[in-house]
Amino acid sequence: MKLKEIVEKLNLEVATPASDLDRDVSGGYASDLLSDVMANSREGNVWVTMQIHQNIIAVASLKELAGIVVVNGRKPEQKVLAKAEQENIPVMLTGLQAFEIAGRLCELGIRGNTK
Amino acid sequence: MTEDRSFTKIQELTYELRVRDAMVADVITVRPKQAIHDLRDMMRDKGFSGSPVVDKGKVVGLISIEDFIKCLAQGEMDVLIEQKMTRDPVTLYADEPLVHAVKKFDQYGFGRFPVIERNGRKLVGILTKGDIIKCLLKKLEVEYHEEEIHRYRASHIFEDIVADKTNLVLRYDITGKDFDRAGQAASELKKALHRLGIQPEIVRRIAIAAFEAEINIIVFTDGGQLSISVCSERITITASDSGPGIADIEQAMQPSFSTAPDWIREMGFGAGMGLCNIKNCTDEMNLVSEVGKGTTLEAVVYLNGKS
Amino acid sequence: MTLEEISRTIEAEVITGQDSLKTEVRIGCASDLMSDVLAFAKPDAILLTGLANRQVVYTADVADIHAICFIRGKRPDEETIKLAEQKGQVLMTTRLPMFVSCGRLFKNGLTGLGYLDISKRNDRG
Repeated sequence: MKLKEIVEKLNLEVATPASDLDRDVSGGYASDLLSDVMANSREGNVWVTMQIHQNIIAVASLKELAGIVVVNGRKPEQKVLAKAEQENIPVMLTGLQAFEIAGRLCELGIRGNTK
Repeated sequence: MTEDRSFTKIQELTYELRVRDAMVADVITVRPKQAIHDLRDMMRDKGFSGSPVVDKGKVVGLISIEDFIKCLAQGEMDVLIEQKMTRDPVTLYADEPLVHAVKKFDQYGFGRFPVIERNGRKLVGILTKGDIIKCLLKKLEVEYHEEEIHRYRASHIFEDIVADKTNLVLRYDITGKDFDRAGQAASELKKALHRLGIQPEIVRRIAIAAFEAEINIIVFTDGGQLSISVCSERITITASDSGPGIADIEQAMQPSFSTAPDWIREMGFGAGMGLCNIKNCTDEMNLVSEVGKGTTLEAVVYLNGKS
Repeated sequence: MTLEEISRTIEAEVITGQDSLKTEVRIGCASDLMSDVLAFAKPDAILLTGLANRQVVYTADVADIHAICFIRGKRPDEETIKLAEQKGQVLMTTRLPMFVSCGRLFKNGLTGLGYLDISKRNDRG
């Protein structure tokens, strides 16, 4: 499934308009621990988190994630969003909690990384 | 204690208590080579309803009043106990949790189990269902009573102590950088406030605010104090430390502003929500800080609506 | 869902609190940030988290949460388990990742809190 379909179906707000949403999503990963995401997320994953610290962009870029969904109505600072656009990492926002967004992503057919 | 809670409490107790705590240690035993008619005297004198058969300190069988009655009916009073007893009976270990005994009573439908030591298999007691119930009730009564006393004493403190103004202060010393114990003060505080009979919803708000204040002291300072002052109309939380201070309080109050180091984020804290959480949980909050000197945070919750 | 159904749904092993598995919870809370839990959690929630330190137990205690499931095979140390027992909490652990655990529980009827407005937190009950 393409990221832009997810954005439409889950009514996400795209905080990085310059980033490219026309990319395939390989699966989902939910975590607020950067070391965990570094270790266990996979290329093309959509990452669900409530972290808005600028390190999330570095992690997503390094792991070549498809995008970041920031939950709980939180919004990263402008400089973090600017960095995201520069690295072409789409950042999407929602007022839902991580549990529900992960649940709804699964409902859309996005799968987790099981061995 | 509500019915629901006391039920859970009983279940907890069956895990906590051991067979040893409930068994009767003074066991009447018989030997395998005794004749059945010996049981007659025991029944008369000691209210016997069943007894382990012991040979050289080890349990080899169990003889019950039903076995005795059968022999009586068939005129077999002279046969040896070993011929009529149940051999190799199911036993319990003295150190097993009581819940195992409960399961065995259900599983086998026996009236009693001999209790033996795990090492050496020596007989040390006997356990009936009645013994389990007696033990649980006794324990429950003691615990219930203790908690009642705690609660009663604590919740009446403001009525008992007559003064123009009564103010109870709970102080917790917080060690800086001691992340292992982080949360302990807030958790203890919560229990104390419950005992004081404060409304659960208010206890929850105070405990959340105190938790965040405690974490801040641990993460950013070399230590400080958390004081909770309770009087009849309000609860005041004061968190104070002696360094390093906050340069820009307005910025620190922004939801998501954080100067926490990465390791703290990996421990599940430091996402910049702490001060906001405190503010949202309390009716008034005031933060005073001087760089290099220290920070004092004061937050108030009114007990009977805002005055 | 009862905690028993939850443990079956996400293949979780119950570490402590076997006796309380009939307890019903309604809300799933997936978080590795304890302030988030303190700010939003409700008493009839189960906390799913990738952290397994003592602070998770203290946080749940303070937030009136009585069930915690550790994900990705995380398991707390003995002292933390003892602390949870004292506080009357149910602990379980699943090998599944957070994303998959949320998906399965959401599908089986647990919900989140709906759309949150960060300025209107629910700490006031």
